[in-house]
Amino acid sequence: MVGIDRRLLQNVDWPLLGATVGLVILSASTLATLSVGRAGGGVALRQLAWFGVGTLALLVIASIDYRRLVRVAPLLYVIGLGALVAVFAFGRTVSGARRWLLVGPVSVQPSELFKICFVLTAVWLVTSRWAQPMGRAVLVLAAPLVIVPMALIIKQPDLGTALLLPPLLVALLVAAGMRLRLLGGLVLAGLAAAPLAWLVLLKEYQRERILVFLDPLRDPLGSAYNVIQAKIAIGSGQLLGKGVAGATQSRLSFLPERHTDFIFAVFAETWGFVGCLVLLACYALLLLRGFDIAASTREPVGRLVALGVTCVVAIQVLVNVGMVTGLLPVVGIPLPLMSYGGSSMVVSMMALGLLLSVRMRQFQ
Amino acid sequence: MSVNLGYVGSPMSGRPDPGRRRILAMAGIVCAALLVIVCQLWYLQVLEGGRFQEASDKNRTRVRPIAAPRGILFDRHGLPLVDNRPAFTLSLIPRELERDPVARDATLGRLASLLQIPFAELQEAVARIPPDSILPVRVRRGLSMEDVARVEEWKLELPGVIVEVEPQRAYPTSRFAAHLLGYVREANEEQLRQGRYRRGDMVGQSGLERLLDEFLRGKDGGERIEVDAMGRQIRLIQSTEPHPGAQVVTTVDRRIQEAAERAMEGLAGSVVVMDPRNGDVLAMVSTPAFEIDRFTGTIDRSAWLRVIQDPDHPLLNRTIQSQYAPGSVFKIVVAAAGLQEGTLAPTDSTHCTGEFHLGQWTFKDWKEGGHGSVDLLDAMRHSCNVFFYEKGLKIGGPVIAKYASAFGFGAPTRIDLPGEKLGLIPHPKLRRDRRVGGGWHAGETVNMSIGQGAVLVTPMQVARFMSAVANGGVLWKPRLVQRVERADKGAVWSDGGSVTGHVELSPMVWAFLRQSLWAAVNEGGTGAAARIPGLDIAGKTGTAQMIAKSRADRGQDHAWFASFAPARAPEVVVVVLVERGGKGGQVAAPIARKIFNAIFLEKVASLDIDG
Repeated sequence: MVGIDRRLLQNVDWPLLGATVGLVILSASTLATLSVGRAGGGVALRQLAWFGVGTLALLVIASIDYRRLVRVAPLLYVIGLGALVAVFAFGRTVSGARRWLLVGPVSVQPSELFKICFVLTAVWLVTSRWAQPMGRAVLVLAAPLVIVPMALIIKQPDLGTALLLPPLLVALLVAAGMRLRLLGGLVLAGLAAAPLAWLVLLKEYQRERILVFLDPLRDPLGSAYNVIQAKIAIGSGQLLGKGVAGATQSRLSFLPERHTDFIFAVFAETWGFVGCLVLLACYALLLLRGFDIAASTREPVGRLVALGVTCVVAIQVLVNVGMVTGLLPVVGIPLPLMSYGGSSMVVSMMALGLLLSVRMRQFQ
Repeated sequence: MSVNLGYVGSPMSGRPDPGRRRILAMAGIVCAALLVIVCQLWYLQVLEGGRFQEASDKNRTRVRPIAAPRGILFDRHGLPLVDNRPAFTLSLIPRELERDPVARDATLGRLASLLQIPFAELQEAVARIPPDSILPVRVRRGLSMEDVARVEEWKLELPGVIVEVEPQRAYPTSRFAAHLLGYVREANEEQLRQGRYRRGDMVGQSGLERLLDEFLRGKDGGERIEVDAMGRQIRLIQSTEPHPGAQVVTTVDRRIQEAAERAMEGLAGSVVVMDPRNGDVLAMVSTPAFEIDRFTGTIDRSAWLRVIQDPDHPLLNRTIQSQYAPGSVFKIVVAAAGLQEGTLAPTDSTHCTGEFHLGQWTFKDWKEGGHGSVDLLDAMRHSCNVFFYEKGLKIGGPVIAKYASAFGFGAPTRIDLPGEKLGLIPHPKLRRDRRVGGGWHAGETVNMSIGQGAVLVTPMQVARFMSAVANGGVLWKPRLVQRVERADKGAVWSDGGSVTGHVELSPMVWAFLRQSLWAAVNEGGTGAAARIPGLDIAGKTGTAQMIAKSRADRGQDHAWFASFAPARAPEVVVVVLVERGGKGGQVAAPIARKIFNAIFLEKVASLDIDG
C-alpha cells in the first residue's frame, strides 16, 4: 500500500521540488540576517529544522495514494474541527491571539493544519455521489462545511486564514463544473452576509485595519504604521537592494513581525527589485507546475486535490505579498515557505506532498 | 471510483475537457495577479525608490525604555526596609554614534575627559554592543548631578550619548540587613546565558532580592519617539507603561533589626530574633556585613576583591551558613533527654571538683576548683560541666543524639534563603564501623554532654530550638516573608507559616527547663548579665571551644547566649553568637540584654508617651 514502485518515482516533479528548495534557502538566509528576540540567529536554524520535518511529512504523504486520504477526509475534518475547538479550551495566547496548542515541546497552529483537512474534505464532498449532478444541493451541503470552521478561526482571531476558505471552495466548485451563474449567486450571497460578519465576528482592530486600508491617513501612527514602514523598507531597496549590511530598516526594529508575516519586506529591502523578481519567479514556477498537474490529470479526485492545494499556496502568496506591498489590507497570513513558523512550513510541505502524489499516479 | 461523474474529467480521451479549460483560466488569473505585484514593486522600488531611500535615512525613531521600579520590601509594621530613588545612567545609542571610527573615538574621548572615565572602558562598551541598535545601552550607572550637567551642556558635541533616569535601590544605612535583603546588580554573564534577562537588567543576586526576584522585578515599559537630527523629541509614536514590581511584606521588625545591628557593631557573629509563637524572624543579623549600597552601583574590581578576600568573610550569612559547637546551650537538650527518659531527676546531685576522670582521660570544668555540691538546677544555672559529664554518660550518647535530632539539630530549618548549612549531630550508626568493638565511644558522649566534640549547629537552628523550648515543643519553619502583593492583583504569594515538627515532653519537664533557664539569668547564674529588672528573661549561656588549629586560635572561644522572654508567656527568642568573643555570659548575654531592652522597654516607653 505504502510501497512505491519504480514507475511512480519516474514521475516525480523535479522542477516543483527545485523551486521549493530554492525558496527555503532564500527564507533561511533572510532569517539569518535578522536577530529576532533573544534567540538571535537561531531562527534560521529552526526554520531549516522545520523544513526537515516538513520533508518527512512530504515523503509520507507522497507515498500514500491520495484517494485513500480523500476517503478518510471526513474523519480528518472532524479531528481538525476538534483541534480548533480545543484551541479555545487549552490554547496558548500570543500577543492577544489564541492560535496555538501545546503538543509536547512544540506549539501547533491547528488553523494551519486545518487548511489541508479542508481541501481533502471539500474534494470528498464534490466528488461524492450526493454532489451529482452539480447543482444547488451541493451548495447547501458545502455551506456548513465552510461556515463552521470560518467562525471558529475568525474568533481566534486569525482573519487571514479564515478568509482563505471560501475562495478555495469556489475554485474547487468551478473546476468541478458547477454552473457559473449559480456560483455568481453564491458570491453575491456571501457579500450580502458580509455586513453581518463585520458586526458580529470581526474584532475592533480587524475592522480598524480594513478601514485604514481604505483610508491610510485615518491613523498614521497606529495601524498604518506597519504598512508605512514596510513600504519604506521595500521602496528603499530600489533596483539592486541594500545588501545584508545596509538593510537598516529591517534589522532595526522599525519593521514589525519582520520574521513572519512581513519577511517579504525584509527580503525586498535587502535584494531590491531584481531579488524580488527571482523570488516571485520561484513562486510562479511552483504555482504553474501545480496548475499544470491539476490540468493534466484526468482522474477527477486527483485533479481537484491538486488544484485545491495549489490554490492554498497561491492565495497565501498573493494575499501576503499584496498586503506587504500595500495592495491589500493587513490580515495576518504567512508567506508559504518563507515566513518563519513550524506549522506553516509543515503544511506547505504537506500540500506539495499531495501535488507530488497526484503527479506520480497520473498515468496509472 | 465507479460513480459516473459525467462532466468532470471524463476518463475517455479526445472528448473536450471544460474542467481543464477552467483550471488554465485560474492559472491565468494567478499570473495576472503576480504581474500586478511586479508592477507595484516596480513602482515602489524603481520609480519611487529614491524617495523611500530618503525616508529610510530620515527614519530616526528612538526607543526609550522606561525601567519598572523594583518592588519595595516592608517590615511587619509597614516600614520600608529598602526604597527606590531616581539615579542617572550614562547610555549610548549605537545607531546614533558617529559612523566614522575616528570621529566616534573623538566623541568617546570628549566624554571620557568630561566624566573622568577611562577611555578604554568606553571603547570596550562600544565594542560589546550591536552597531545598529536603536536601543540605548547602559555604560555607567550612578552619575552625579555635576556629571549630568556636564553631559547636557556638551550635548551637541556628543552624538549618540544620553543620560537616562532610572530607579535604583536606596538603603537606610549602608550595611542595613545586608544578608537578609541581599544585593541587586546587573545580570552577570552566566545569567545572561540562561536567557531570562537582558543586558543591563537589575537582578537580585542574594538574600530575599534573589529569592523573590521574579516578583520584585516588574515589567519595563517603553516609548517609541521620533527625534530630529539634534536628538530632540518631535513626537511620541507609541508608549507602554511600566508595571512596577510587587511589594513584599516581610516578618522583620525594622526597629529590632536596627537595635540588633547596633548591639553587634564591631563584632563578628550573628543574632536571630524569632517569635516562638509562629516562627516569624523578627531580626536576622550577620556581622561583619558588606556595604550593600556599594554593590548596587558600579563596583570597581579592587573593591570587589577586598570584599571577597576579607578574612572575616562579610558575604557569609552566619545565621544559616556558619556552623559552631553549641557549647553549654546544648545542656538544655541533655537535661530534657534525661528528665524525659527518667535517667535524670531534678534532685540528682553530684560533687564537682573541677575535674572528671574517665579511664586515662581527664575532662575539666570551666571553673578552676569546681562548683562543689550541685543539683540539676544549680548545674543549669552555673553551667557546671562535671555534672553533665557524669549524667550525660548515664543518659547515653545515642539518647542525647535522638533528642537533639527531635529538636531539629542536624536538619535544615527550611528557611527561605539559599545556602543553608545542616549542622551535625553524631549518629550511632555512623560510628559503628569506625570503632573496633562497635558502639559509641564514652569519651564522645562526655564531650557531647556539654555541646562539644562533633556537634555543630547554626544560630538559626538554635533559635528554632529555643522557640520550641519556649512554646512547649513546636518546631516552626522560620518565616521571613508574609506575603507578596501586586497593586492590581492583590496577594500573589503568601506564607501562613508552617510547623515542621513536634517535641513531646511531659509538662513537668517543660516547666523545669523554663524555670532553670529563668534562674540562670535571674538568680545569679551565668546569664546574669542579661538580666533586666521587671522583665523575666530566661536564657542559657554557652562558650564553644574552637579546635585550636594554631596558637593564635587558642583561648578564643565563641560566645553564645540563647534566651527568651517573658519567661512565663514567651513572645521573643533572642539568640546571640559572637565569634571568638570569649565567655558567653560576659560577651553574648549583655548584647542580648540590649536587644531585649530595645524590644520591650522602648516599646513600653513609647506606649506611655502615646497613652
